Parts: sequence; structure tokens; C-alpha cells
Amino acid sequence: MIELPDLVAGGLAVGTLSALALGGGLLRARRQRARAHAEIAALRTRLDGTVRAFTAEVEHLAAQRVPAAARQVAHRHLDVPGPLQPLTVGTPLGIALENVLLALQSEVLSQRTRVDAAAQAGMRGATREIQAALYRLQDALRVLQQRYDDPELAQTLFRLDHENEQSLRRAQVTAVVCGAWVGLAREESHVVDAVTGGQARLAGYQRVRVHNHLEPGTALVSHAVEPVAIIVAELLDNALRHSSPDTDVVVGLEHVHHGVCVTIDDAGLGMTHDERERAQRLVAGDEPILLTALGDPPRMGLAAIGRLTRQFDLGVDVSSASPYGGVRAVLRVDSHLLSKVDPEERPPAASTPRTTRRPAPERTAPSPTYGTENPVAEPAGHHGSRDADGLPQRRRRSRVAVPEDSAAVRPARRPEEAAAALGALQSGTAAARSGADEPATGQVAGDGTDQTDQTDHAEGGAAR
Amino acid sequence: MTGRPAGRPLVPAYLSTGGVARPSRPHMERLTVLALTGEPLRQGPPQGSPEGLPAAGLALLEALEGGSLAVVEAAALLRLPVSAVRVLAADLEDRRLVLARPPIPPAGRFDPDLLKRVADGLRALKHD
Repeated sequence: MIELPDLVAGGLAVGTLSALALGGGLLRARRQRARAHAEIAALRTRLDGTVRAFTAEVEHLAAQRVPAAARQVAHRHLDVPGPLQPLTVGTPLGIALENVLLALQSEVLSQRTRVDAAAQAGMRGATREIQAALYRLQDALRVLQQRYDDPELAQTLFRLDHENEQSLRRAQVTAVVCGAWVGLAREESHVVDAVTGGQARLAGYQRVRVHNHLEPGTALVSHAVEPVAIIVAELLDNALRHSSPDTDVVVGLEHVHHGVCVTIDDAGLGMTHDERERAQRLVAGDEPILLTALGDPPRMGLAAIGRLTRQFDLGVDVSSASPYGGVRAVLRVDSHLLSKVDPEERPPAASTPRTTRRPAPERTAPSPTYGTENPVAEPAGHHGSRDADGLPQRRRRSRVAVPEDSAAVRPARRPEEAAAALGALQSGTAAARSGADEPATGQVAGDGTDQTDQTDHAEGGAAR
Repeated sequence: MTGRPAGRPLVPAYLSTGGVARPSRPHMERLTVLALTGEPLRQGPPQGSPEGLPAAGLALLEALEGGSLAVVEAAALLRLPVSAVRVLAADLEDRRLVLARPPIPPAGRFDPDLLKRVADGLRALKHD
């Protein structure tokens, strides 16, 4: 009887135990599943968040950063906005996005250069033809000017010639900006000819005053003539354009240590700091020129100057202010681009201003008036100035100043010259004094007759 | 004359007169003879040209220093068109720096009718 309850008790115990064990297992499993669910839910929300952030980042890239990066290629001062989440910077995603921008920029840049080069080639071809046609027109106009001298017709021809010069200048400058050659080979020419030639290409050239302080015969080597004329024309154009029409633009031609300087001063408004920096950058010609960067309407002048300064080794500076209040532009022509032309054989054009320097060695005092035919005063002037053919020849000017204040206008003497002159005077007076002393002592010694003979001879010589 | 190698001139002619081609005096002709009056030049402002003359005007005065020249001759010397020299010369004449003498007209031709009548008259006298 006892075994049965034992059995039952044993069985119950086992059952309870296993039930407990099972229950425990079940509980544990349920708890685990709940934990896993929670984990999955958390992961899912994180994943959702990441996808959303990624999508937003890419949308931001497409909507904001890509256009900004493309614009930055053209306008360097623009900023490209960063990623939406600052934390992405430096992560693989952030780096990948940056690479998208870099690849885009380099491709845009190369396309831009290619398109611009194609546009320049097209312009170059067109302007070259126009330039050649305008040169032919210029030739025709000048032949007409020589042939017909009816005042009304001549007036029209002058106006047409001037208009033609201006069109020619535009075409030439456009061609130069597009990388073409200046389009005209010239012979060695006086610097003042090149400057005056540049002046003639502008509307309002009457406002330009050229002061020529160069040695007579200072010339440019042939390949520098046209570039200098173009640069001077463009600098003068800027000066005329940015100053009031009742002011003058002053041009000075002077020798400097390494060559010749052409200084152009206007009395206009001047430039702001930014404008000046931009102008200086353009005329330095260090950056490649893109037509699309020149604005609309394109401002070609400074860009053309930049091309030419680089090609021909000229120096242009627009960074300083003029004492007249406007801009001072200085073109420097180094001595390897300079040469000499005989001013008697090939004088500069009649309309170019005379140099203020006097030809130093010969020709001392100018005759007091014009036209007093005074063969004693300057015999060499009239006869020497005639050619072998006996035709009168125009002489180089030696007298911008009239005699009475010639001393004031005469360039200041160099210290060495002044010293030499004073030294000569001193030694001369000393020599004269010693010469006067010697015979005096001789007379004291007793040889009086000889001395009087000598003076007689001297007087006779003077009388004869 | 010294020849200048042929080349496109750098400085156009209109610059010599500032674009003016109508002379201030109408009587300047190609053969008008120009001579200096001998008036002294007055000095202009410092650094400026005497009397504010254009550079080409000074060049013309210089050319005349060697003696009188016709307008065409001066034009050839200065390598300027005649029209420009006329303007310059008229301007200098206005300033009393230059005298302009009109060209001597060619001698009038004999009138054949008149000659015939004289001859007829002489013949008539002879026959009488």
C-alpha cells in the first residue's frame, strides 16, 4: 500500500519538476523572443533613419551642392555648401560624396575650356577676315586722301578713316584676345610714332596730350611696334572712357633705367580696390583667358593687354593712382625691344610731338626768330639741310622753347656736367693768371723789350 | 629726297589737324606759296608747344625755315595729304606766322580773233 503513494508521489514530483523546467524554458524563450523583437525594431528604426538621412544627403547633393560646385568652376569666390549632417564629413559616405563633386568640377572645367577654345577659334577666323578687309579699306581711303583735296570730300575721308581705325582696333583686339597674331608686320618705328598711332585709333583722341621726353631716334624693334600701339590704345581708351570729357589724358614718354616708360594719367574717378586688383591680374596675363569670363558685353581691352604683355615681354602696371586723381597706367618697354632709327633719315611722322630733349652736341643757340634769313648765324642750317637733289629738307626741331627762357626749359644739368664746366672755368682762369704772371716776372728780370714785342704781336694779330 | 621704305603709316593724316579738313581760309590752293613772316613764336604754357600749335603746325614752320614752299611741296615733305597742309597753313596764316601768296595765274592766251583783226587791219593799211 505504501508503494503506490510513493510511486504517485515520485511521479508527481517528476511531473512537477519537468513542468517547472518546461515552464522555465518557455518563459526564457519568450523573454528572448521579446528581446529579439525589440532589437529588430530598434535596428529597423535605425535603418530607416539612415536611409532617410542618406536620401536627404543625396537630394541635398543634387539640389544644392552639385550646382554650387559647377558654378564655383566659373566663379571662384562662390562657396559650395557642406553636407546636411556635419557628421558625415570624413566617413566613407562623406568622402564618396566629395569625390562626386570633384569629378564633376574637373569635367565641367575641361568642357568649359574646350567650348571656349572652340569659340575663340571661331572668333579668330572671323576677326582675321574682318581685319584684313579693314586694312584694304584703310589703303583705299588713304589713296583717296592723297588724290582729292576738296575740303568737303577731305572732311568725309578723314571721318571715314577715323571710323575705320576704330573698327580696326576692335577687330584687332578681339583677334588678339582669341589668341591670334597682331595681324600686321611693321618696320622699326619711333616710339612716339607707335604711341601716336595708338592714340589715333580712339574716339576722343583730341583729349590726349603726349609729352615726348625721349632721345630723338628712340625706336621699337619691328615686332614690338604693333603690340605697343595696341596696348597704348587700350590703356588710353580706358583712360578716356573713365574720365570726364572736359579733362585731358596726359601721356609721358621717358627713358628709365631698363628702357622706356609710357605713362598714362587720367583725371577720372579712379578704380576701387577690387577693380584695381582685377585689372592688375588681367594685364599681368598670367591666367588663361576665357571669353565667358570677360563679361557681357565682353571687356576685351585688359585681356588683350595681358596676352600681349606675356607674348612680347612688355610690362604694364595699373596698380597706382594718378596724381590727377584717376588711374596711372605705365607701360614699360625693356631695352631689348628698343633700337635706334636715324631721325634725320627717317623722321617721325609730322603730327607726332617733338621731343623736349635737345640734340646735345651740335647746334648751340637757336636763332632768335623764325624766318629771319640770317645766313651768318646758321649757314650750315640752310645749305647743310639740302639734299643731294637740292631739295630743301625738313630739319629736326631743336627749339621747342624760345630763346629768352631757353635756360629754364633746358633739362637740368647732371652734377658731373656742372662740375666739369666749373672745373674747366677754374683751370682756365688759373692758366690765364699763371700766363699773366710769368711775363710779369720776366719783365722784372730785365727783358723788357721782348715783352713789348710780344704784346705788339698779339695786338697786331687781333687787329688782323 | 630720302625715301621711306613703303609701309603702312602708323599715324593717320587726320591726327595732324585734329580731324579738321576745312581750312579757315578758302583761298589756299595747291600752288599757293607759303613763306614765314618772321614773327617770333611766343612760348606757350610750360611743357606745351609754342602758342599751342599742333605738332604738325610746328613741323610745317620748320619746313618753311629752309625757304618758301608751295602747299603741295610742303605736303610732300611732311608726308601729309594736301588737304591737311591747307588746314595747317591757314591756321598759321591766322596766327600771322606764315604768309600765303596765291599762285601766279598762267599768262592769258592770245585771242585768235583779235590777232586776226589786227592782221586784217595791217593788211588793209598796206593795200591803201
